[in-house]
Amino acid sequence: MGASTTIEVHEAGDAALRVVATTGDREHDWKTVHALAGWLDSSGMDGIHGAVPTYDSLLVEFDSHLTSARQVRAIVLLAMRQIDFVGATSRTPRQFEVPVVYGGQFGPDLARVADHEGLGVEEIIRLHTAKSYVIRCLGAPAGSPMMDGPDFPLPVPRLKDPRISVPAGAVSVAGRQAVIAPASAPGGWCVIGQTPLTLLDASREPLVPYLPGDVLRFHRISPEDFARYDGQPLEALP
Amino acid sequence: MTGTLLVQQGGHSVVTDLGRVRGPRYGLPVNGALDQFSARAANILVGNHDNEPLLEITALDVRLRSTEDILISVTGASLTLTVGGRECPQWEPVSVAAGETISIRAMRGGLRAYLAIHGSVETPTLLGSCAPDTVVGFGHRLMDGDSLATRRSVRPIRQPYFDLPLFRLGLSRPGISTHPVIEVTDGPDIEEFGETAQKLFSGSYTVGDRSNHIGLRLRGDLPERQLTSEVLSRGVPVGAVEVPSRDELLVLHRGRGVTAGYPVMAVVTSLSLDALAQARPGHLITFRHTTVAEATANHRSAMRELDKLRTRVNTVFGLLGLQSGTTGSGANALESNQTA
Repeated sequence: MGASTTIEVHEAGDAALRVVATTGDREHDWKTVHALAGWLDSSGMDGIHGAVPTYDSLLVEFDSHLTSARQVRAIVLLAMRQIDFVGATSRTPRQFEVPVVYGGQFGPDLARVADHEGLGVEEIIRLHTAKSYVIRCLGAPAGSPMMDGPDFPLPVPRLKDPRISVPAGAVSVAGRQAVIAPASAPGGWCVIGQTPLTLLDASREPLVPYLPGDVLRFHRISPEDFARYDGQPLEALP
Repeated sequence: MTGTLLVQQGGHSVVTDLGRVRGPRYGLPVNGALDQFSARAANILVGNHDNEPLLEITALDVRLRSTEDILISVTGASLTLTVGGRECPQWEPVSVAAGETISIRAMRGGLRAYLAIHGSVETPTLLGSCAPDTVVGFGHRLMDGDSLATRRSVRPIRQPYFDLPLFRLGLSRPGISTHPVIEVTDGPDIEEFGETAQKLFSGSYTVGDRSNHIGLRLRGDLPERQLTSEVLSRGVPVGAVEVPSRDELLVLHRGRGVTAGYPVMAVVTSLSLDALAQARPGHLITFRHTTVAEATANHRSAMRELDKLRTRVNTVFGLLGLQSGTTGSGANALESNQTA
């Protein structure tokens, strides 16, 4: 397959391009955009600030004084021909275990999500803790681990009125996605639980302990156990 | 460190730079000076690199006192600048003698001013930038009674006879309008809005009160998305024009969350983002459609103005025997073999 048949490059202003992988194979598309991001980041190309890869798309940001949308498009197409997909995924994924208190004040939208899915609250928790999640990308706010969602029957709608503030540690779902909030921020996703662990450490680069490709599991703890973990950092399993 | 800048009145001000360009790949917004042209100009005028830490002053009055002789410049929104009680020009280097108070007040016509200091100030960085990040809780907001360490002292440069402006470096400063025309290019998701996308250009929008460094909220005739499907989160460009609700248009600025699931209808050009940085709640905005090629050409033309200014500053500073940290933004060497 030629590069031009597997990605589309869209203009996104005079300082960014959006690259979308279009094979429809989610795993392949995700690897493509992350491999492209890695290639662009390590290319040291003048004027290219960096790349933000997510699930099937990539935002490439640049300074249009030093380069241009046209040049960056050409570079992306060149990169597509040079990417080593094997090399891009050779890092051994690390494993993370995340304790979560579900429902109540910790997960104010748990019942709403259960209603929407036509399932009981316990079944929602069971599905959420049942699988291992691959961290697909680091997103807003503050390097959130963004993952494919749990195996719910239906996509979860976003809140009609986003919250002004969602606390750090909030464990949320929306659409077919799942996430943990490393920092307090506004949010429109359904919050079903909260982890007492700290994800963010501003004295470290990067600020969060995980990278795209790492694997994360949730397990349930009781509200009484929240204080026992409170403030401990999230760390990869040995 | 050579001296101290004492914050007598901090107003609503931060220490910032041109932004955390390595942030977005780690899920952090770029942040940094919202009016990039004015911030670059302020640094260039005092002989700094474009990206040195400087003060971004939003709306409110500020008073600072320096313990050393320093050289400053103030750009951005129009205001009244006095040093030791003397009124001084903006967009020019200004000498401050040890013990004198720098007073910035009565900001009008814009929202953000930039104060650069020759040699800059000491400040911590995160991922290579001192720009505040309100989500992570990083950055230096000026509090009354704070002090900033300045790095270089500059003996006072004064006209001996009259208090005439000393430099007249002749930068054509961007006009700040209460009804700016904001240029946008088509966004990657414009088709999702069908014919309603044209509404963007049919009337004016009013800047809402909840606007900030994350985004401007605009009231007016809103385009509507024609689809209802859920979108996977993806990177959003600074300048993205979105319609997240039935009430407001959202124009994302440099503090924007890096990823989101809203379709991007249009994208504000780099130059117009500077104009938006100066828009106050209540101001009217009109959008104008442009192309990426035209936006790029305009951006480069503005950057060439700054390059010329840098050359003049280097010449003048050389004649005065002042240390000048500028060797350019790194752009000059490249320019000759670049075409839009």
